[in-house]
Amino acid sequence: MITVHNLHKTYGTQTVLAGVNASFAAGRLTSLIGPNGAGKTTLLMMIARLMAPSGGDIRLDGRQVGDIPLRDYAKRVATLRQAPDFNLRLTVEELVAFGRFPYSRGALTGEDHRVIDDALSFLALQPLRRAYLDELSGGQRQMAFLAMTIAQQTDCLLLDEPLNNLDIKHAVHIMRALRRLCDEQGRTVILVVHDINFAAHYSDHILAMKGGAVHCAGSVAEVVNETRLGELYDLDFEITHGARGRLCNYFNPA
Amino acid sequence: MKRLWALVFALASGFVLFGSGLDFDYVIPKRLARLAAMCIGGVCVAWSSIIFQTLTGNRILTPAIMGYEAVYLLFQALLVLLLGTASLMLLGSQGNFVLSVLLMLGYSWALQRWLLREGNSNVYFLLLLGLVLSLVIGTVTQFVQLKISPGEFSILQGFSQASFNRVQPQQLLFSGLLVAALCLGFARTLPTLDVLALGRDQAMSLGVDYPRVVRLQLALVAALVAISTGLLGPTAFMGVLVANTTYALARTFRHRVTLPMGSTIAIAIFIAAQLLVEHVFNYKTTVSILVNLLCGTYFLALMLRTRGTR
Repeated sequence: MITVHNLHKTYGTQTVLAGVNASFAAGRLTSLIGPNGAGKTTLLMMIARLMAPSGGDIRLDGRQVGDIPLRDYAKRVATLRQAPDFNLRLTVEELVAFGRFPYSRGALTGEDHRVIDDALSFLALQPLRRAYLDELSGGQRQMAFLAMTIAQQTDCLLLDEPLNNLDIKHAVHIMRALRRLCDEQGRTVILVVHDINFAAHYSDHILAMKGGAVHCAGSVAEVVNETRLGELYDLDFEITHGARGRLCNYFNPA
Repeated sequence: MKRLWALVFALASGFVLFGSGLDFDYVIPKRLARLAAMCIGGVCVAWSSIIFQTLTGNRILTPAIMGYEAVYLLFQALLVLLLGTASLMLLGSQGNFVLSVLLMLGYSWALQRWLLREGNSNVYFLLLLGLVLSLVIGTVTQFVQLKISPGEFSILQGFSQASFNRVQPQQLLFSGLLVAALCLGFARTLPTLDVLALGRDQAMSLGVDYPRVVRLQLALVAALVAISTGLLGPTAFMGVLVANTTYALARTFRHRVTLPMGSTIAIAIFIAAQLLVEHVFNYKTTVSILVNLLCGTYFLALMLRTRGTR
């Protein structure tokens, strides 16, 4: 359970977050949605402790996150930003092994190898384990980074736009994997996502942000309706309910 | 790796024995001292450049960009200007070495302290400031040089190029122990350096206290550069060559492998250059010029090759 209380972030005179209150239920998948510049990524990065808040507090199971040593925090919360570009020649397996750093500080044990194997199997990456990252497609790369995050064995996973630049097939694979992490392993997943239909199909909860504040929050049924989404994005939404779930159409105004 | 060691061993024995007439009283001890200086210098150059490149995530930088060597040169120029040749007598090479090292360490301490005081860990800003400062200091040095008489200027020039001929046994012992202690002390942190290669955010989410690690490793780099510059003089370009050759040969990012390999390569380059200087060019050129020629050529080749593959 992560709770955020009255969180502020300002750069000089510019306010990015203005008093955000939110709570993220354990074992659930929560999507952060909203227009660009709403503060979604800022909120996520502060929960990840990659950015310091200007005011307010963030608690993990009731404890201020700033009081938890960074090494211990890495065993409880794992973060994946948009796959970084680096000039290393790494295999998938070597990348995933980095997920064990908080536990073994670079000297892998038998247990670590087992966890790495599990993470690779979970995402069906075994055939690619010896492939080099720079030889993979964007989708496979993102999968490999996700596997590293899974190997970190944390209760909570934070993902910043994990579907960015992916084709629809890989996007579905990633979202299914995240859903299974919640359902099968009881992990808490919080992600920033722009595709409203992915959020509607795969989330338990949705937190909608606009202008540095929470616009609305709740279950999918509560948030995904024409008036609320219309206000959030200033767009005309049509939401249809089909046999395979609700579908938001915002492509053409009515 | 084994082949590298064999190469270094062959070069080293060649360097010590070639044309020595097996004179164990004078020639060989002198050469052993120079060999020791090359080993210490090689370890310093390799470690400082590779770690610096990891911290900055950039393969074409060396710690020289931070202006440590510029501070050293300014200090030498000022010494000659203010005290003239008497400075050589007054300080002795021992005093000069200790003062230079302290000065470079003080400079890096002030730079980091001032820049990173508010938990600010923007490495690029540090680089920019280092670059600007080294340019400013370099210009001041040139200005000072204009005021120096030609005879004294030639002494100064001796200081501004890497050389193994002026090292003293005591300096060697002192810096050897210091470098060994630093390397052993930091050996534990090598896996953390591997993680830093993933970038700040990913390293932090893997539990690395990024600002603290960067501060510590930059301090290590400063200490190593200070020792090697104080001992041998500026080596500037060489770090780029050593680091990139190491990456190409090692085919791994793990510092546990790259640092020892880089050290071996650096030592091999030093010995080869010194052999050429002593036996082929008969002291008509300097190690610096040879190393820069080699490194400059390699650097151009590297740029042309990477452009070709794109």
